[in-house]
Amino acid sequence: MTWTIARKEIASNLLSYKFFIVLLLMVLLVATSLFIMYRDFDQSIADYQIIRPKPGEPIALVAPNPLSIFAKGLENAITRSFEISVIRIDVRTGQASGNVIYSFFTAPDFLYVVRVVLSLVALLFGFDQVSREREQGTLKLLLGSSVSRAKVLAGKWIGNFLSLAVPFFFVTLLGTAVLLLDPVVHFSAGQFARLGLILVLSLFYLGFFLSLGMLVSALTRRAATSIIILLFVWAVFVFIIPNLGTLAARQFVSVPSVRALTEKQEQTWTREVLLGISKGGNWAEHMQALSREEDQMEQDYRLKFERLVRLSRDINRISPAASFLDASSEIAGTGIGEEIRLKSEIVRYKDSIIDQIIANLSTGKRNVEYPAFVDRPRSLAEIFASGALFDTVWLIFLNILLFALAYVSFIRYDVR
Amino acid sequence: MMKTLVIKEIRTSILSFRFLASFVILFVVVSVTASVLTSNYLRRQAEYSQRQAEIDRYLGTYAHFNRIGAILQATQPPIPFQTLIRGLTAEINLEEFDDDPLPVMFPLIDLTFIVTILVSLIALILSYDVVCGEKEDGTLKQMLSNGLSRSKIVLAKFTGGAVTLIVPFLISLSAGMLIILLQPGVNWPASDWGALGLIVLGAFFYVAIFYLIGLLISSLHASSASSIMTSLFIWVLLVLIVPNLSPYLSSFLSPTPSRIMIAREVRRLTDVDRDDLGRKLEAKYRSEVVKQYPALAEQLSEAEVKRRVASDPEYRTAYEAMRAAEQKAWDEANRIQDAKRNALTADLQQKEEAQTSLARSISMASPLADFAYLATDLSSTGTRNTAHLGQLWQAWESVFYRDYEPKKMAELKAKDPTADLWNTPIDMTDVPRFHYTEEALGARIKPILPPFAVMLGYCIVLFAAAYVAFIGYDVR
Repeated sequence: MTWTIARKEIASNLLSYKFFIVLLLMVLLVATSLFIMYRDFDQSIADYQIIRPKPGEPIALVAPNPLSIFAKGLENAITRSFEISVIRIDVRTGQASGNVIYSFFTAPDFLYVVRVVLSLVALLFGFDQVSREREQGTLKLLLGSSVSRAKVLAGKWIGNFLSLAVPFFFVTLLGTAVLLLDPVVHFSAGQFARLGLILVLSLFYLGFFLSLGMLVSALTRRAATSIIILLFVWAVFVFIIPNLGTLAARQFVSVPSVRALTEKQEQTWTREVLLGISKGGNWAEHMQALSREEDQMEQDYRLKFERLVRLSRDINRISPAASFLDASSEIAGTGIGEEIRLKSEIVRYKDSIIDQIIANLSTGKRNVEYPAFVDRPRSLAEIFASGALFDTVWLIFLNILLFALAYVSFIRYDVR
Repeated sequence: MMKTLVIKEIRTSILSFRFLASFVILFVVVSVTASVLTSNYLRRQAEYSQRQAEIDRYLGTYAHFNRIGAILQATQPPIPFQTLIRGLTAEINLEEFDDDPLPVMFPLIDLTFIVTILVSLIALILSYDVVCGEKEDGTLKQMLSNGLSRSKIVLAKFTGGAVTLIVPFLISLSAGMLIILLQPGVNWPASDWGALGLIVLGAFFYVAIFYLIGLLISSLHASSASSIMTSLFIWVLLVLIVPNLSPYLSSFLSPTPSRIMIAREVRRLTDVDRDDLGRKLEAKYRSEVVKQYPALAEQLSEAEVKRRVASDPEYRTAYEAMRAAEQKAWDEANRIQDAKRNALTADLQQKEEAQTSLARSISMASPLADFAYLATDLSSTGTRNTAHLGQLWQAWESVFYRDYEPKKMAELKAKDPTADLWNTPIDMTDVPRFHYTEEALGARIKPILPPFAVMLGYCIVLFAAAYVAFIGYDVR
């Protein structure tokens, strides 16, 4: 019986204006987003070929990640060029910093489309499931034929989820297949698995909004009321909580601004160089001490910053949109955790280079070749252990919770 | 009659659930945002004065001319407007090793966000069924049978809707301003009231656009269920998609060379290549001088050279000619390489500017981008302010290098003629400090005229379209 209702839902969806608009939006946006981000990736690969360090150069540069087509995240920060010089790391940024308009708007990647637009679409599938059928009188007929309410609700959920998920899956797979025609976009088996995980997370995320729509629909008498409530709830979940949450976290964790930190480092550096000149003598030791002092400051900042990230994540998790974004970008390897890890690895690399410079100074060797920087991205197991698993379980839990709530309110729904 | 119609529109809106819900959510979000941003502002202000104190301490003890440029930098103090609008002032700082990537993942919430996303959504919610809803209820038929002209009805609907939207927005904003101004640490300057007024005016236009979109779509649909779908579709495209695509589109249409490559090229040109060229030119000019003064061909030790320069006037002229030739070689090398560097960076800059302005133009198709540019430029938190900061900094630099540095160096020399002018610590607490002042309101208004014009154009076109659509609406 559940399946019959699901089929009925799919059939009625297929014929509706809503479905037409939604399908148009989905195809248009997923295709545009994949194409635009693919071109962006293509460009960054071309740049990478030009700027990749020659053997022996002490430069840490990470190759562009093809998963950034789907989850841009902090890719721009991760693929900066970190050039190690005697006492500092010279950071050079890529293209995006030359065009200030980038910083006005969020990158329109696949995650953005799912997180912002498709969540709205999922709500539109759910918002009138109960109240519209009541308004039309079909709900009475349906329940009159002695189907249990649980089965009706489950059938509705499955039918609508399929009408949403099947075209979504199809468009995404088609888009990905087209991407793969370009030999530049090369996914390893592990990256395919990660992409699959992101898709599964997307489905959980969309399922949440579908259940939310059905819940509100079962709580209201009219579809018009239901849509208004849902639009506001959507805005709160997708925009307000995540964006206000990071600001609120800053109230509790005092992290110095990056500007303050840079100024402090400049002061230390210039002071030490000055003292080094006036003292003369052992430069090597001085250099090492200076490098360690800067590391200390850097680490101090990073610890505080990590605390801020943890707290703002915990606050933001109230919203599944933030959970979804965090987990998916970490899985794609473009998240905040990945950037923090990369930077600590670069600091280690810098220290090893400086040790080598000092050793060379004492032996008088010149024009040495330095070992290349090897980036070891975290494995999926590590990513899951450091939060993504929690986010995934949380999304599943929210799905179940909302469906249960929708069920409870549907049981008590007055169908007259 | 018009007045009755407007009052009827306002009354039906105000009594509706959606109005109440909109008002509550707007009020809460504006108040929470204002209080969070204000406390953020106060903390940043405290940090700023602490940073200045640290710089003062440094200037008193370790300041020296060689590296003073790394200490005295163009910094902008937090400005009161940041309690409402953050704009580009979020510190992401990708140019330094330590950055703060949180705002990249989760853009900050501020008044711009509230107007562009929340208020526009409210405008659609209030307007999507303003015509077709009344048709469904059957009241539209009755109204028209009373001999009312359609143009009066559409005008009344627009006026009534605009008033019901603007009043809750103004009340919420006043509450937010009250929260900000009640903080003793915030000194809201008089010119910012003018800017705020203009931003509110821009918000009116912005909201009117979305109300008109709702009105237009509502007059094109027979049922409100399909009207909300189309309205949301248009809203998603205009607000969530077009602006975000614009920088990427412009980067394909107007590409720029790799920044990292140019930076490395510049370093190579002015470092290794310059040295090579300098040495080559030096050798060339030297051989010319040697031909003229054969005495120089002799290989002598440094001490020997010094002795002969002192004793032999002929050798001295030859030696000086040689030094001049060397200087000429290096000057030439520097000039050639600097010209190459300047050509490279000028080309990069020109291409980047072309790309930025293209991205800006594309994004201006979206009212969201128009409002964002307008609000950030008026509040001194946008691109205009970045340029303004750069100008102020240039003015400061010229004062520092033209007046202050030579004066201080002369003092140092007078005290100790053999002192290393660059690496001797001196007390620089009297240095003219960089002082940021906001751009005058008049100058801030100029760059916002294009976005204003685009929004006004939208309003006119949409109103005309809504009018035509309503005239042709089938009320049955």
